[in-house]
Amino acid sequence: MSELLDIFASTALYATAVRLALPIFFAALGETFAERAGLVNVGLEGMMLMGAFAGVVGSHYTGDPWLGAAIGIFAGMLVAAIQALVAINLAGDQIVSGIALNIAVLGITSYLARTIWEGGDVPSVNGFDSITMPGFSEIPFFGPVIFEQSVLVYLAIALAAVSWWLLFKKPWGLRLRACGEDPRSADSLGIPVFRIRWQSMMICGALAGLGGVFLSLGQLFTFSDNMSGGRGFIALAVVIIARWSPIRAIAAAVLFGLFEALALRVQVTDINVPPELMLALPYLVTLFVYAGLVGRTRPPKSLGREYSRG
Amino acid sequence: MIAALQPDRQAMMMTLRMGVSVVAAIAVSSILLAAGGFDLQLVYEEILRQSLGSPFAIKNSLIEAVPITLVGLGVAVAFRAGIFNLGGEGQIYMGALAAIGVALGFSGLPGPLLICLTLIAGIIGGALWGGVAGALRSRLGLSEIITTIMLNFIAFWIVSYLVRGPIQDPNSAGYPYTAEIPGRSQLPIVGDLIPTGFLIAVIASAVAWVLLERTKTGIGIKSLGSGEAAGRFAGFRVEMVGFGVMLIAGAMSGLAGAVALLGGGDGRLSDFFSPGWGFIGVMTALIGRGSPIGTLLAGLFVGFLTNGISGAQGTAGVPNSVAQMLLGLFVLFLIISNTDFFVRLAESARASLAGSRPRRGKATV
Repeated sequence: MSELLDIFASTALYATAVRLALPIFFAALGETFAERAGLVNVGLEGMMLMGAFAGVVGSHYTGDPWLGAAIGIFAGMLVAAIQALVAINLAGDQIVSGIALNIAVLGITSYLARTIWEGGDVPSVNGFDSITMPGFSEIPFFGPVIFEQSVLVYLAIALAAVSWWLLFKKPWGLRLRACGEDPRSADSLGIPVFRIRWQSMMICGALAGLGGVFLSLGQLFTFSDNMSGGRGFIALAVVIIARWSPIRAIAAAVLFGLFEALALRVQVTDINVPPELMLALPYLVTLFVYAGLVGRTRPPKSLGREYSRG
Repeated sequence: MIAALQPDRQAMMMTLRMGVSVVAAIAVSSILLAAGGFDLQLVYEEILRQSLGSPFAIKNSLIEAVPITLVGLGVAVAFRAGIFNLGGEGQIYMGALAAIGVALGFSGLPGPLLICLTLIAGIIGGALWGGVAGALRSRLGLSEIITTIMLNFIAFWIVSYLVRGPIQDPNSAGYPYTAEIPGRSQLPIVGDLIPTGFLIAVIASAVAWVLLERTKTGIGIKSLGSGEAAGRFAGFRVEMVGFGVMLIAGAMSGLAGAVALLGGGDGRLSDFFSPGWGFIGVMTALIGRGSPIGTLLAGLFVGFLTNGISGAQGTAGVPNSVAQMLLGLFVLFLIISNTDFFVRLAESARASLAGSRPRRGKATV
């Protein structure tokens, strides 16, 4: 028992939690834009995977992780463009197209990795090392947890704030949310529903791609098949638990990351809990939190419904 | 508008879309394969040979088609009620877990009895797991899209733990799998060609069809699919229908797990038991347009494709991932062509040809 307390007392746990939460957070933030505009994007997983893959390819060929990140983000947007075309212009089934995208991306990235690198042996590429903020990192607890992370941590905090401001303080955000609540009324008021939904999906693709980039270039410096490993799906749950708020998305993603970090930490102690069961814990917690929020989650009214003029 | 087309014209359009989508998916994949330095002719010849070229190949393709079809049937039934069962993967694992428990625990029973009990255990295991998502939806209003996916992970880790601990094969030299099922519980192959599992899948499609088209429950399912208000107006307890549909979907996936255990692979449960059948089943149901017969046919197609490619991996070096690539692209093209977008495009083209202004609006841009 005291060992468990030791784990909770160690800052390493929280630092790991933040690190694990980041890719999920980026994707969840993107999904928040899409869902606020009325689009369900189950293809989040595919966008992350494509971002992770393209980021590594980009960094491999240019030697520059920043260029790699840009390419990864762009690749995420490319996948998002297909989802946007189907969901917005073609009024097709958003969920089915998202699943199809996930499988197609899984196949394409695994295949291309094998084509580019003989036998799928992806080499190590230049990535983002953690940057220690001088001064800040000496603050007890918050120092190592927040200020000794990859540069993308700072980006995450900034992006959450900017997203909140965009969604809730700018006319554009109001219009975007109107598209998610009642696109027909929004349209009749002259709000360009299709354009705004496209914008939201492009933002979603970019952020999901960034989340993928963080996985590959910010953590492992390489690519492996299916390396997103379901994080896109977790991001979908995070959005709901965060009740479609960019700020709460940080908390929800970190909560998930915390339990995942706990599962990893417990393995290296004498605590006799099967690691596999610990790894199921984050999903169980997510499920319970979701169930506990019953009646308090109110999705955008037109979420997932296609809209066609006519 | 497509809805206004004659039924035979509609069927023709659908066939056309299927054909166009297959061709488009093959075209894109071919470009990628050619870029990867593959000899296309050799690749496609090998895929055909390995999926259809011999009775042995056909038998294996049928075995591959079974779990996909069964999961797809469950997805299709739920889909008709407007419910998305993305939990096939978890339900397969829970079904297979219950099945291996019975197959190993009652291994002394005579073969046919043991097989029946094992299949029933699989059905119950899957139904329970699907039922959890169904109950969360009906009682608390939680989105099954989220809950089924979380339950997938939970089921996977539970099985992953069990096959490394309590139910690990003591002679496995550390590998994470259970002991093999007893020989007499293996599903027989009829005439060295037709796996019993395939017959089970055919029966399951027939049952699903009867359920949807010939029973009151079927009417309830379909009226729920037209909206909760519609279901309630038609006099159904929509919560119960929603819950029941998830039970059925889970049962089908659980059966898939049990059949795959008894009639495919190596007869063991491991944490790499399912190569993604849960999500492939969703695609299969979509290709089958949500109808049980269509899902059966789509399952055959997907089964032959996957088996062909995994066979060609050995002979022509085609990576397995090509199957996912082809399938994903096929479904995407199918969705893209499955809208009245192109009809509208054609209308506006015709209108502009006739000299009148095309219908304005961003919808067609």
